[in-house]
Amino acid sequence: MFKNTFLTILIAGGCFLASGQEAPLSTGEEGNIYQKIYNAPLVTSTKQATSFEKLRKEKPLLLGLIFTRCSGVCNPFLLQLKENLQFAANNNSVNVVVLSFDPRDSITDMNSLAQRLDLENDLQWTFAVTDSILPLIQSVGFSPVWDSAKQQYDHDAFLVGINKDGYITKKLIGVRSANDLSLLISSVNNIFSPTYRLPGTNALFSCFNYDPTTGKNTPGLGLLFIALPAVVTVLLLILLSYFNAPKVG
Amino acid sequence: MQQNSILLLFLILAALATITFLYIYLSSKNVELVKQGMENPLKKRFWFLLILFVVLSIFASVTIPKSPYYLFADETPAKVVHVSAMQFAFIMSENAIDPKRPSGQAIEVPANGLVEFRVTSLDVNHGFAIYNPEERLITQTQAMPGYVNRLRYKFSEPGTYKIFCLEYCGMAHQGMRASFIVK
Amino acid sequence: MESIKSKKITAVWIITILTLFVVSIVLGILMRLNQGGVIEQTPVAFYVNMTTHGLTMIGIWFVAGMMAVNFLLQRYVKTSHTVNILALVFTVVGVLMLWTSTFIGKFHAGWTFLYPLPFKIMWAKWATPVFYLALVVLVVGWLIWCLSLIAQILKKYSISQTFAWQHFKKNPKVETPPFILISMITLVGITTCLIAAVVLVALTAAEYFSKGAFVNDALLMKNLTYFFGHTIANEMLYLGLAVIYELFSEISGRPKWKTTWYVAIAWNFTLVFILTAFFHHLYMDFVQPEGLQIVGQLASYFASLPAAGVTVFSIFIAVYRTKINWSLPNLLFFIGTAGWVIGGLGAVIDATISNNVVLHNTLWVPAHFHTYNAMGNVLFSLGFFYWFATLDTEKIYSGKGTKLILSLLLIGGIGFLLAFYIAGADSIPRRYSNYPPELAAGIPLATMGAAFATIYLIGILIFFFNISKGCLKILSSPSS
Repeated sequence: MFKNTFLTILIAGGCFLASGQEAPLSTGEEGNIYQKIYNAPLVTSTKQATSFEKLRKEKPLLLGLIFTRCSGVCNPFLLQLKENLQFAANNNSVNVVVLSFDPRDSITDMNSLAQRLDLENDLQWTFAVTDSILPLIQSVGFSPVWDSAKQQYDHDAFLVGINKDGYITKKLIGVRSANDLSLLISSVNNIFSPTYRLPGTNALFSCFNYDPTTGKNTPGLGLLFIALPAVVTVLLLILLSYFNAPKVG
Repeated sequence: MQQNSILLLFLILAALATITFLYIYLSSKNVELVKQGMENPLKKRFWFLLILFVVLSIFASVTIPKSPYYLFADETPAKVVHVSAMQFAFIMSENAIDPKRPSGQAIEVPANGLVEFRVTSLDVNHGFAIYNPEERLITQTQAMPGYVNRLRYKFSEPGTYKIFCLEYCGMAHQGMRASFIVK
Repeated sequence: MESIKSKKITAVWIITILTLFVVSIVLGILMRLNQGGVIEQTPVAFYVNMTTHGLTMIGIWFVAGMMAVNFLLQRYVKTSHTVNILALVFTVVGVLMLWTSTFIGKFHAGWTFLYPLPFKIMWAKWATPVFYLALVVLVVGWLIWCLSLIAQILKKYSISQTFAWQHFKKNPKVETPPFILISMITLVGITTCLIAAVVLVALTAAEYFSKGAFVNDALLMKNLTYFFGHTIANEMLYLGLAVIYELFSEISGRPKWKTTWYVAIAWNFTLVFILTAFFHHLYMDFVQPEGLQIVGQLASYFASLPAAGVTVFSIFIAVYRTKINWSLPNLLFFIGTAGWVIGGLGAVIDATISNNVVLHNTLWVPAHFHTYNAMGNVLFSLGFFYWFATLDTEKIYSGKGTKLILSLLLIGGIGFLLAFYIAGADSIPRRYSNYPPELAAGIPLATMGAAFATIYLIGILIFFFNISKGCLKILSSPSS
């Protein structure tokens, strides 16, 4: 009887979870990892010429690729990034470069974007354009497609982590959670975790969940099943000793 | 090689154990009735335990930091190799492998550069064991469905390295293999 | 004391175990011959033999320890004859179902049946459920047996007395006999790992019946598999030790061993270490957090402290410069202890994470566990069988017979094990039906292993023949 109920709960839980985890496996994120980013010359909002090499030597970088005339994902992507960054772990260990991939964008366009986002005076954020965008986007594996009917680029929200040595350590495609951002920040700081889980494979009873804010594993539901045999044994012992207590005297 | 010293250490320890048992056994033959048994057994037991404890603790503190999880953790790899194990083959690629359309390529890695293998499985548990050109097992990790294990290693000698599956995975387990070149 | 009834069932147990043992050794020899290229079997036939060999061996040496403990426990408490018979029936039925799934259904997922391999059908479709049902029959039968023995012990001793906690203080009022302490510690450990098997089977069944809606986590299933598999393989050794604690001094004509404070502490620690050491099976799964890996190494290391410091040392003290009536059973106990220690050394080396990288799943693994089984636990049980078969009769073997049996077992055992150790250090994988050209070094070693295992088998057959005669005599004696 108990076993049947138990199984029903298990199966119901499984169904619930299976329906909730349809996230497709994004293989794009796994490309170009540990390759060097193209050292494009940059023009920043202060009109100063600089380059990736100079910027990344100060601090590891998060590179967001956008264009200012975007009517799609760019604005929500940047707003979400700004908000997530405030709550992410080690958020001071990185700088953010927002770079336009649209040759039509000038540094003035970028400055007004920074103003709209209320980030023009934030030293952590750099808004920039470059005259060699093609080799740069190739080096990070980003491929926007021009849609002439809409007069828009068809593209993903694209955030790249670059460590101090200029290597791509991790990419995030799509608007993502603060947790994923923390993982990205850990990776550009070369914090190594010997394992990770494939997206969309979070089983209900996983034993551990990696928490990037602390860099530690937190116990998952599955761990209960490993502890269960010991708990049941202790309970059985108590029960058996209660019903079989040696008669005194 | 590490394995040779392991075998030697084991044989020495096993010989020591055998000699001890033999010595104790022989001491029970031809016993004079006057001198029976062990003197101060509790004290001897205490020392025996203490020495064993110290030896084991030293051994643990020396070996634990050499665990593979800590190796090359703070270096940036020169190359990433994605590995998807499946019954009964390894698919290896420099790019991420799509589990729905898995396809691989020939792999070449630089000698003395840090290589990171990102190992997972598309079906059951497999092993991912790297054998050097002298057919010695040099490092390994498991390929578990749903998880990716990151194995880092620096290959000093150029040559063809072989990969064998070391976790039993079914009827053609013994034939599951791959190779890559270190240049 | 031991009644005729309990002697009869014990005699049946012994004959059953030795019969299954001979069959399983033959399967093992066939595997080594196939690897050596002497005979040619299909890989499926090889892996069928491997699966059957593994689970049958684990099963029989587990029940060998259990039935010996059950028999000797009657010196202290009353045990249930019905449950003993029930356990025998469940074991035989379970083994027959297992053999049906492997030999007829060709199920060959290995005795560890690591999830999700049993779901990837490469055999008759019905074989997977039959295999799991066999497992359920065995586990349920053994669980009832364990709990029944624990209940009987608890009728006489309070729970703290069974763990000898009163011995932590000076001058305890009641003494817990060492046999009760060790049996209890071991039975509790066995209960825990059998429940782990129940959880494992329940999760598997949930996935099986949900038709894909529920999918298990591979890491959880692997942890549960070794919680069950490693622990039961380890605990059966401790059942053998309980028998040694009870019988070694008795057979040797020495005073009985007593429980002291350090014996009590050591065995309580043993329980904790045994239940956490299984983590060492997951060293190469980097997904398991490092903390647990280190727990695995430390538990595996320090499990040897109470074992060596208390049990082995006690045997040294009992023997050192002491007049002993040496005969086959106490020689088997003594040699078995040496085998246990040497196998333990191989195990500690392998349980070191930085060594495990080059030893994991090589033949080093079967090397060390065959050492403390074939040259350890099996000898403990054989010692008990011999003692039991000669309870009411004269001794079976003269000095010469004893020497013959021991020489065959020692020469066969050591040669067979060396082939494993050398191959393991030479990076030859375990569980390979045939070796590819690169691993050809494994081929002559496999043939050598088979040859020496045959010598071991001859020793076992001679022993089996003589012991069965004694057992059959007990069976044919009048019931009252």
